Amino acid sequence: MRKLLDRYKRSRPYSDYLVFGILLACAPLLVELGVLRFFQLTLIAGVIVYAIVTLGLNLLMGYGGLFSLGTAAFMGLGAYFTAFFTGNLSWGFLPSIIVTVAITAILGMVVGLLASRVEGFFLAMATLAVAEILRQVFIEWTWFTNSFVGARADFPTFFSFTMNRNQTFVLLVVFLVIAMFVTHSIANSYTGRALSAMRGSEAAAAAMGINIFKYRIVAFSISTAYAGLGGALLMHFIRFTEPNAWIFTLSLMLFAAVVIGGVRSVSGSVLGAFVVFGVPPLILQNLPVIGDVNGLAFIFTGVLIIIVAMYYPAGLVYVWHDLKKLVYKARAKWGRKV
Amino acid sequence: MNIFVQILFNSLETGGILALATMGIILIFRTSKAFNYAQGVISMFCAFIAAWFMSETGFNVFVSTLAGVVGAVSVGILIDRVVIKRTIKLHSVSKQIVTLGLVIVFLGLAPMFFGNIPLTYGRFAQGTQTIMDATITNSALVNIFIGVALMAALFFIIQKTKWGLAVRATASNDTVARMMGIPTSIVTMGAWAVAAALGSLAAMMVAPTTTVNFMMMDSIQITALLACVLGGLGTFFGPVFAAYLIALARNLISFYISSVWADAIVYLSILGILLINPNGIFGKKLVKKV
Repeated sequence: MRKLLDRYKRSRPYSDYLVFGILLACAPLLVELGVLRFFQLTLIAGVIVYAIVTLGLNLLMGYGGLFSLGTAAFMGLGAYFTAFFTGNLSWGFLPSIIVTVAITAILGMVVGLLASRVEGFFLAMATLAVAEILRQVFIEWTWFTNSFVGARADFPTFFSFTMNRNQTFVLLVVFLVIAMFVTHSIANSYTGRALSAMRGSEAAAAAMGINIFKYRIVAFSISTAYAGLGGALLMHFIRFTEPNAWIFTLSLMLFAAVVIGGVRSVSGSVLGAFVVFGVPPLILQNLPVIGDVNGLAFIFTGVLIIIVAMYYPAGLVYVWHDLKKLVYKARAKWGRKV
Repeated sequence: MNIFVQILFNSLETGGILALATMGIILIFRTSKAFNYAQGVISMFCAFIAAWFMSETGFNVFVSTLAGVVGAVSVGILIDRVVIKRTIKLHSVSKQIVTLGLVIVFLGLAPMFFGNIPLTYGRFAQGTQTIMDATITNSALVNIFIGVALMAALFFIIQKTKWGLAVRATASNDTVARMMGIPTSIVTMGAWAVAAALGSLAAMMVAPTTTVNFMMMDSIQITALLACVLGGLGTFFGPVFAAYLIALARNLISFYISSVWADAIVYLSILGILLINPNGIFGKKLVKKV
């Protein structure tokens, strides 16, 4: 037992992520027991997918200091590709996901090429334009997306075995945990350090021998690959999509999730996704009186993002840390008096 | 010939609407050092105020528009005093994140006040005119006139008056401007108020062609931001010129090439121009201190 605990402590934070995943995977069990309701499980699944996308966006924004307002379009691209592969071409789940992620990553590289010339919030604008073009594609290419009628997909199938809803939920959790592992590893690898250096000062980073051009492209392609993966997973859980699901507002919300949760933090991204996508429908709308107000979710998220950007730039994930510090301080002061 | 004239007039109208939105964004960018991503939703909100005023009181379009503009000015001042004033010391990235937050807040406020049903809004004038074989609605002529007249007036104010000088001084360096006795905080507040008013006018010109709904300004907002980048952020003139240019290009492409892909082609060409010249058409190269 003690050995196990030691091992747990040594392999943090990976073990933390694993425990988090195992706990989250119990949610379908709670539905079977009648504690959670069915639609709440769907909402949680959405939060999991958005958490994956937020992790990718955090690598781009938090570590790389590059901005993207086109994330939703890349999610949509992932959703449509997997619908096309599994539906029209009747591929299995795994090859479809792999090819989808590869394609979105390559498209991310193309956007990254753009990023090598355009800077800062100009870049955000450029990604916005790319997203608008993609949305036009979603609407017009009926053979590929089925336009406003909507595209359909099934629960994931492995060879001849088709998963049901609960198993798919567990699969999403598995992907989330893998995404957290990978993000943490990337952030603490040479790539992550190179991205951080680039964010701090490009001139200094270039002087240290970091290839700015390469790492901008790498950052973009990682983040769009996450977005593509997220879109594809959501497609296989919700099993339906249409062009209006991938609008600018969603990109904005994902951006908000990164800022609110905490830049440069893996757990912050998950927390941010939960606060932005989970808290309004799961908690706020169940409150008496204010739960019935129109547009409450938007105001909650918007005010939160303004407050966090103005007064708490590190993000909500550090609240726990700061509270602990306060307690220690208070205890030290108190201790001295006594 | 008449088709080309028709396209030209259409471009002047849509370009004017775009120029109003663009001018609002560039005014705020120069004085507050941040892109105002919320310009579109603020205009949308003010168009809702005007449309709601019209349906509640039954006044004609002009009075309602006045109400909308007054609403816009107060919304602009309110935003500046409540939010933007407290962000002066923040990095420009944080400021823009704050404006993104404002976008989300207004998307929530609009259904809270005005419900989920789109409203309708009237035109400024009825009837049509024939100029050089091209048929033009009177309301389009009014829109063209408002666009050109407002732009001319604003450029006159910025270039020739004392307040314009204050705006330009704040734009070039607000710390030094403050030391020279320019009330930069009032200049910034004025910029937000004027920007909101311009945006709401643009929204009220768009409103008759669509309805007053939550997404009405989305595409104009995106195009206006791109116009700012395309024209270059160093001048007031560049973005406005780019706005008219984009409108003309868009109309020409949608007539001669494809109406469905016009937006996509315009966006792609803007991206192409930015790749060649990242500072925009009239932009000066930004010198970065290391």
